[in-house]
Amino acid sequence: MPEMTPVQTLLIAIIQIVLVIAFVFVVVPLTIFAERKVLGFVQQRLGSTRIAGKLRGITGLQNRFMWGMGRFPIIHYFRGLPGLVGDIVKLFIKEDIRPAKADRFVYLIAPCVSMIAAMLVYAMIGFYPGTLFTIPSFIPLIGGLPVGGTIADVNVGLLMLLGIASVGVYGIVLGAWASNSKYPLLGGLRSAAQMVSYEVPLTISMLTPVILAGSLNFNEMTRVTATGLSPWGVIPLFIGFFAYITCGFAESNRLPFDMPEAENELVAGYHTEYSGMRFGLFYLAEYINMSIVAALASAFFFGGPWLLPFGLQRFIPETAFWIGQPHWYIFAVKIVFFLFVYIWVRGSWPRYRYDQIMDVAWKYLIPMTLVNLVLAGIVRYFA
Amino acid sequence: MQGYFPLLITLVVAVILPIAILVIVKVLSPSVPSDVKYAPYECGLTVTSEAREKFSVKYYLIAVIFLVFDVETVFLMPWAIQMKELAIFGLVEMGFFLFLLLFGYGYVWSKGALSWE
Repeated sequence: MPEMTPVQTLLIAIIQIVLVIAFVFVVVPLTIFAERKVLGFVQQRLGSTRIAGKLRGITGLQNRFMWGMGRFPIIHYFRGLPGLVGDIVKLFIKEDIRPAKADRFVYLIAPCVSMIAAMLVYAMIGFYPGTLFTIPSFIPLIGGLPVGGTIADVNVGLLMLLGIASVGVYGIVLGAWASNSKYPLLGGLRSAAQMVSYEVPLTISMLTPVILAGSLNFNEMTRVTATGLSPWGVIPLFIGFFAYITCGFAESNRLPFDMPEAENELVAGYHTEYSGMRFGLFYLAEYINMSIVAALASAFFFGGPWLLPFGLQRFIPETAFWIGQPHWYIFAVKIVFFLFVYIWVRGSWPRYRYDQIMDVAWKYLIPMTLVNLVLAGIVRYFA
Repeated sequence: MQGYFPLLITLVVAVILPIAILVIVKVLSPSVPSDVKYAPYECGLTVTSEAREKFSVKYYLIAVIFLVFDVETVFLMPWAIQMKELAIFGLVEMGFFLFLLLFGYGYVWSKGALSWE
């Protein structure tokens, strides 16, 4: 890689960040929409097909448009999609309510902390090891420079990723405490204990790919687990994957572990007092965290940007005619698949009780992951 | 330090993003203050007591146990990277370390700190 001046580094980084933000802000709303639709079909109903509102004005226009979409064969599955735009607009123009007894400053920063932690983790995720595309040479200042598939390709990537991801719990706890209301406080406490408990088995289960790769660099780990082991990493690391995905569900507060929210016990848990866009930031952070868990699962256990196991990858051209590398799309498809698994699980499994959740973390997952770690160590040492 | 500079930029962008969103909302959204609207949610009842009451000591206990285990995972990280180089010495050392940890874990378990009623 040629030596770059700070200005060039800055510009390249900004291009990468814009791409990542675009990716996130495309995937997250689509996940929200997919969740409504998939849950609907799981429960044998249609999901969202229209939005509330009058038959005049913008809402009327949208409703008429969605009604028209229902006439066409495949398009009618996407009938609720224009309604999603309405939801986002509503989040922006809703009144910003701050409870009178709330701690003003902490109440303001709590959703921001959640959001910042979630966005920052994306800096460490490698969408492609190496150059994603080269900037055309006619552009001044940065022409001809490569744009890497990772924003920050640091050699302690995974450690940093886990560290920053765990900051996300502060957003929830601070928000819960600052609201000065009973339901958020209960939800926040539960969530703190739950997320903290599941962080231990999560980290230990992530150590098995680390042991096999002998590195903490994200791209290096992905490469070794995807191409070094004969099939994908999920087959030799089966126990690790099982523990990881369980902890991932718990860390991102999703069903069957959505104790911090638990609608039928705690109203809405930690964000009961939040409304409008501040609630929107919490909501966004939750879905970004989901996509991060999905990205890690697909990177370390399902081959990441490499499509096929058993060395079949070499039949796929390195650079296709379409934009950039085909690997990038493959990774995105895997992330979307894991997001679908999230919704699938939500539609299929009931919620656990709180004591059961803590039992699963402390009495089953921690011993299981430790045994798995020792096994991985022995395998790596003697193989 | 080449790789950490983009991380810093990402941090700056990530801080600006939610603040920018909130500023846009501040401009777009109406503001109609009223006492009832700003009261904490209590299922429709009048708020009688402060929300920040005493809560179960179990949460503190979990936090303390978590600290021990979190430090343990931090110690496991360098060993996991260097385990091929550290060879049998590292394996024995780590085994001893894990044994001591599991001893404490068993003690905590037997005292009932991990069970919720």
